[in-house]
Amino acid sequence: MKNRLKVLRAERDWSQADLADQLNVSRQSVNAVETGKYDPSLPLAFKIAALFGMAIEDIFSVD
Amino acid sequence: MSNASKQPEHGQPGLIPKSKIPPSMKRYFWRMGIFMTAYMAILIWGLSLKNSASPPEGAVIYGLAILTALPMCAVFWTVFRLLVEMEDEYQRFLVAKQIMLATAITLCAATIWQFLNVYGLIIEGPQWFGAIWLASFGIAGGIVRWRA
Repeated sequence: MKNRLKVLRAERDWSQADLADQLNVSRQSVNAVETGKYDPSLPLAFKIAALFGMAIEDIFSVD
Repeated sequence: MSNASKQPEHGQPGLIPKSKIPPSMKRYFWRMGIFMTAYMAILIWGLSLKNSASPPEGAVIYGLAILTALPMCAVFWTVFRLLVEMEDEYQRFLVAKQIMLATAITLCAATIWQFLNVYGLIIEGPQWFGAIWLASFGIAGGIVRWRA
């Protein structure tokens, strides 16, 4: 699955640690999601979408 | 200020970052510490009784053997509780992989050991599965996190 996390994070000038803090997950988790090594669960995807004020499909897309 | 533009606290200069150890890990370390200490204490006490001039017999020695094993059973419970209690789903995924890899290593070691025994190359059959699994769990942790 592809995602736009890195771009969205950069637009807000957030580090991976900043995003991790707001999602209440580890920085490694953000890195794993961002690099496509790990696909987040639906609850985490909703949390990410809510944080960026976007729909899930605007952040994540199928390869 | 909207949620999307809010700067996280720890990004502000001069603030001490809050503790990064999640509650589940704190509980894990506490439980591990308690059960490993109990294991060492019971093991030393039990072996000193067994090796004394008048060692216990019958049901007492059975009870002593099971009592020594119980803290180790609690250590395994602690590992599996960590899997249930972890807040971070990616870390939970890594621990699940670690447990599966440790189990695979243990089963492979036991199978090889067993057949060395069947072919008469060693006298003793597989023993100390718990210790092998815990050592494998440590090795698997390094492998899983290195590959993550």
